[in-house]
Amino acid sequence: MTEIDPRVHAALDGELDPATLPPELHAEVRAVADIGAALAAGTPPASVEDRVLAALRRPAHTPVRRVLQWLTDPRSVTVSLRPVYTLAAAAALAGVLLVAPGDTGPALGAEEGIAQFVGRFPGARSVEVVGSFNDWRAGVTPLADDDHDGIWNANVILPAGQHEYMFVVDGERWVVDPLAGRYVADGFGRENALLIVRPVK
Amino acid sequence: MGLSHIGTSTARAAARRDPRIAAEVSVTAGQVEDDADVVARVLAGETEAFGILIRRHEAGLLRFASRMLGSRDAAADAVAEGLVRAYRHLASCREPARIRTWLYRIVANRCKSHLARRPTGDVSLDDAVVRPIADGSDPAAELERADRLARLERALSRLAPEKREAFVLKHVEGLSYDEMARVTGARVPTLKMRVHRAREALVAALKETP
Repeated sequence: MTEIDPRVHAALDGELDPATLPPELHAEVRAVADIGAALAAGTPPASVEDRVLAALRRPAHTPVRRVLQWLTDPRSVTVSLRPVYTLAAAAALAGVLLVAPGDTGPALGAEEGIAQFVGRFPGARSVEVVGSFNDWRAGVTPLADDDHDGIWNANVILPAGQHEYMFVVDGERWVVDPLAGRYVADGFGRENALLIVRPVK
Repeated sequence: MGLSHIGTSTARAAARRDPRIAAEVSVTAGQVEDDADVVARVLAGETEAFGILIRRHEAGLLRFASRMLGSRDAAADAVAEGLVRAYRHLASCREPARIRTWLYRIVANRCKSHLARRPTGDVSLDDAVVRPIADGSDPAAELERADRLARLERALSRLAPEKREAFVLKHVEGLSYDEMARVTGARVPTLKMRVHRAREALVAALKETP
C-alpha cells in the first residue's frame, strides 16, 4: 500500500485547491486522476434499451399465460418429505417425482429430508443448484439429464429447515425457480427461491 | 443521451425513422426535458418514455457495472435487471429530478447481488471489460496503455467491493460524495475513507514492477 499525502486526498476530494499544493504533489494528484480516466475510457457494453423495453412491454401474467409458461419455461418441482404419511401420499400420487419403489434410497437422519429439484432446460450443457445448503458454491450439486430430454433433476438430502436456492445453467446463467411457490428477498433487491425441508420423522 | 445534443430538425428526422423518438421530440423541441418531467410521463402511462431515461443514463450505469463486475455480459445483465426493476418501482422514486443516483443505487445493488452469488465473491477478468479504443498510430504506446490498464483492472478487482464501488463512483463516474452517499447509503466520512484506501492501493499497483 502506498501512502498518499493527506493534502493530495484533500485536493482530490475538493476540500483543497490543487493549485495551492507544493509542486512535488501535483504529480500524485494527476496520477489518481489518470487512473480514473483510464478506467472510464473505452467502449462500454452495448445498449440494453431494446432488451429492457421489450421486458416492459411483456404483458402481465394471466392465469392462462401461467399455464402456457408451465409447459414452455424452465421449471422445477421441489418435494419436501414431511411426516411419514406425507411421504406415503406423495409416493402414491407421483412416482416419477420420488425415488422408485424398491429403491431403499440413502439413509436419512432424524433431522433430514429429501428435496427433488427438477427443471426444464432444453439445450443446456450443465445445470446445478446452488443455495444456502451448499454455501452458494458451484460444482457441488449438479442436476442430471440422463435421457437428454431437457429435463434436469437431482435428489438431495438436506437438513430440515429453510433453504434458499437458485439454478445455475451452463455455469453462468442464474435462474430463479419460477415455480418454487415461496421466495425470499436476497437483501440486494431481488429474490431467491425458498425451499422448506421438514424431517421425515 | 436523449435528443438534447442535436438540432430540432435533426431530431424530427430521427423521429420519422423511429416512432419511439417521436414522443421525445414533441416535448423536447425548443427545450430540454428534465428527468422529473420524463418520470412524470412514464408514471402517466407512457412506457416508451422510459427509453429516454435509459438513453440518458445507461452509458454510465454500464461502465459502473462493468468495473464492479469485471465482465461486460454480467454488467449488461445487472443494468438491464436494474432498469426493469426501476421501471416497476418508479413511483417510489422520491426525487425524480435525481433519478440518476437512484438508478445507480439500484444497479449497485444488482452488482452486489451478482458478486454475492459468485463462489469467491471476487470479480472475474476472464472476459474483456471496457477496452480503450486503439487508434493504431503508436503501437508501443498502445501496448504500454493496455498493460497499465490490465494492471489497474487486476488491482481494482482485488479491492473489497465497497472500496471498488466508492472509487468507481468517485473517479470513474464523477459523483460527488453527497451523491455517493445517496447511492450507497454510507456516510460521507466512510466513503472518503474507502476512496482514500482504494486510491492508495491502485497507485501502489501501478508502482509495482510488472
